[in-house]
Amino acid sequence: MEELMATLKKEIFEQLNLQHVKPEDIAYDQPLFVEGLGLDSIDALELIVLLQQKYGIKLANPAEGPKIFYSIKTMAEYITAHKKQ
Amino acid sequence: MEVYIAGKGIISAIGLNVEETLQSLKAGKSGIGTQTNLTGRRDSNLPTGEIALSNAELASMAGLSADYSRTALLSMIAAKDALADADINIKGLKCGFISATTVGGMDKTEKFMASFIRDGEVKDIGRILYHDSGAITELVAEALGIKHFVSTISTACSSSANAIMYASRLIKTGVLDMAIAGGTDAMSLFTLSGFNALMILDENYCTPYDDNRKGLNLGEGAGYVVLVSEKVAGKLSKAPAVKLTGYANANDAFHQTASSPEGKGNYLAMQGALKMSGLEISAIDYINLHGTGTANNDLSEGMAIQRIFGERVPKSSSTKAFTGHTLGACGGIEAIFSMMAIEQKMIFPNLRLKTPMKELGFVPVTELMEGVEVKNVLSNSFGFGGNCSSLIFSKVN
Amino acid sequence: MELFIKGIGCISPQLTYDNPDFLPGIKKYAGNRMMCIEPDYAPYFDAGSLRRMSRVVKFSAAAALIALKDSGITQLDAITTGTGYGLLENSEKFLKSMAESTGPVLSPTSFIQSTHNTVGATIALITGCNAHNNTFSHKGFSFESALIDARLMVAEGATHVLVGAHDEISEKTFALMEKLDVFRNNNEADINAYEKGSSGIVAGEGAAFFILSDKKGESDYGVLMDNIIFYHPENAIEVKQHIEAFLEKNKLALENIDVVISGINGDAKEDAVSHEINHLLFAHQTIVLFKHLCGEYMTASSFGFWLAAKILLAQQVPETVILKNRHRKPGYILLYNVFQNDHSLMLFKAC
Repeated sequence: MEELMATLKKEIFEQLNLQHVKPEDIAYDQPLFVEGLGLDSIDALELIVLLQQKYGIKLANPAEGPKIFYSIKTMAEYITAHKKQ
Repeated sequence: MEVYIAGKGIISAIGLNVEETLQSLKAGKSGIGTQTNLTGRRDSNLPTGEIALSNAELASMAGLSADYSRTALLSMIAAKDALADADINIKGLKCGFISATTVGGMDKTEKFMASFIRDGEVKDIGRILYHDSGAITELVAEALGIKHFVSTISTACSSSANAIMYASRLIKTGVLDMAIAGGTDAMSLFTLSGFNALMILDENYCTPYDDNRKGLNLGEGAGYVVLVSEKVAGKLSKAPAVKLTGYANANDAFHQTASSPEGKGNYLAMQGALKMSGLEISAIDYINLHGTGTANNDLSEGMAIQRIFGERVPKSSSTKAFTGHTLGACGGIEAIFSMMAIEQKMIFPNLRLKTPMKELGFVPVTELMEGVEVKNVLSNSFGFGGNCSSLIFSKVN
Repeated sequence: MELFIKGIGCISPQLTYDNPDFLPGIKKYAGNRMMCIEPDYAPYFDAGSLRRMSRVVKFSAAAALIALKDSGITQLDAITTGTGYGLLENSEKFLKSMAESTGPVLSPTSFIQSTHNTVGATIALITGCNAHNNTFSHKGFSFESALIDARLMVAEGATHVLVGAHDEISEKTFALMEKLDVFRNNNEADINAYEKGSSGIVAGEGAAFFILSDKKGESDYGVLMDNIIFYHPENAIEVKQHIEAFLEKNKLALENIDVVISGINGDAKEDAVSHEINHLLFAHQTIVLFKHLCGEYMTASSFGFWLAAKILLAQQVPETVILKNRHRKPGYILLYNVFQNDHSLMLFKAC
């Protein structure tokens, strides 16, 4: 899990081209959206693409996004639960 | 100084001309279906409002080469019809062609780029020569014989409403005596894939203003009106029945793609158009909604309408369940639907609306209404980049 | 209606911002393209928004912010922009992902920022401007149409209008234009080479923005008196008639014009009409060129507008842009541009 979260953090920074924060400043359980990193609806779509491209997970309903993308930790948990064997 | 509308021309998934379009609107016949012209991506399986003719067939209608972008072919067909409908001799008049498009020649470019990117293939490089929006306008201006003034607007989904607005302002200030104004957009994999990437395409037929709406269907088409000055209007064989009495553009300045929840830009555009027209809100008989069918648009637009009209929201409908969202063409196409509502004394239905939105206190019209006196119509077009435009069309007494 | 130029911002292949000097020397480019000298963007945008902006969005929005700051104005009543090709880099990026991706869902950011009005919208977002926001995309009339829109806006009651234009050189489009053989490979920034002309153009890019108003101020650059477009004239005689009618409409005679800024781009064939016009009408005026500084692109005339504003304020014409007749003091300036037979005129005067 620790390893997945570290990789995921790197991938998120790359996919969203984050420059205003450093990876080390983001805790795994820190909220990513609005009150946390200030991400928005387009970032949520980018994270859906990330899930699909890197982990083969298709998220059909963007409404599920906020829960899954709450933090790096929640994302990692979702990936672990849904990753294709 | 009043600006009159002397002619109209339209092509979309529900008709190749004005008459066919009217029949479809009256019959409640939607043009959404499985599209056949574009293949090669999974996005191309999504339902769209496609015009059921090949480029060769369109080219023959347009009298242009089939090598040209479909965007130019659609533009020519509708613009030519609009000019013929106005029955006007442009000789000696300061005549402009103000067109709008968002994709331009992308239908040709994307074909070329696919093989260029994959294999470096440049054999068909000629395909990209008319890629830019202005090139499409110039092809059609040339074919229409309009030389005096040309311009092209590209502000996403409000493009052709802005073209009509710009033309009207040029006439009011005497820069032009008349103008053919509106817009055109052909279906492209670029826009299909793009809107799909935004996850705002409905995999089924779109249901604007329904509580369970899932997104939009893209469409294609072109719509142009012939705007004339008072002076030119007085000399026409057929007296214009409709005039453009109000318009405004405003920016939501909220987000690149999403509308603000309260629809600030939408509100300002409608308010601005109403103010210019000098009409009381109670004088608006019908609102042709932007109503794309996305969760975000319909809610923001609906909220802004309620803020203006309160509990007295006029009859309204989105016609995008008929045509799909024709992007840069929708302002032109819906200007014509607005004119038809006035001329035919009809209000066209918002198809496939079953469950009204719970956030709103009004419900769009779901059945065709005939024999209704429609004197003033408000038509909305809202686009990416917070670009919001409203036009008001009024019956000439 | 006379419009006072209150602020200017230009990012181009020359150092046209943060530079107290007015083109004493020019940057020369050896190849067939001239690209923008970009600033450090950190002072202009917060890092959160920078991450999504492509190169043209950054240099264009920055140019707009420079113009705003220069004018000291905070409240805009309209934003109107022109772009010939729109946002090429983002369009290409999305086309590339379409060609390469097998998955059904693509990354949306480049698509979102591929619409032509992205720059105008970005400026509205940054400045919180809810006013009229328009974007024209019509070859050599893109910036010109935005100027007409700006003049109409002021006539309709706006006080301060931001007007500007932008175009970018992108990798793939540039490569394709090379294949189409539109460039010349002997780029010399030497103005005489531009006059002599050869075959092909040098690609350029840039963004130039201006704050215009009908309210006269203490520190205005100069006045935009009028501008017109004329589409595909048959020959130089027709162009001559347009120029004469335009000056007459503005109650000026040919002799009143002191400086002519000419859009000669070094392609002998395309420049033929401009040369003939200079010969027919402007034997005594100071002839100024600018495309040896910024290259050729659909909205290059916006760089010409920037040059006119700077000349009017400085009341001198830099040596580096003079083709001939250096003796006239710049009172009235006429800019005559041609892009693929889209012709345009802009008329300026000193305050």
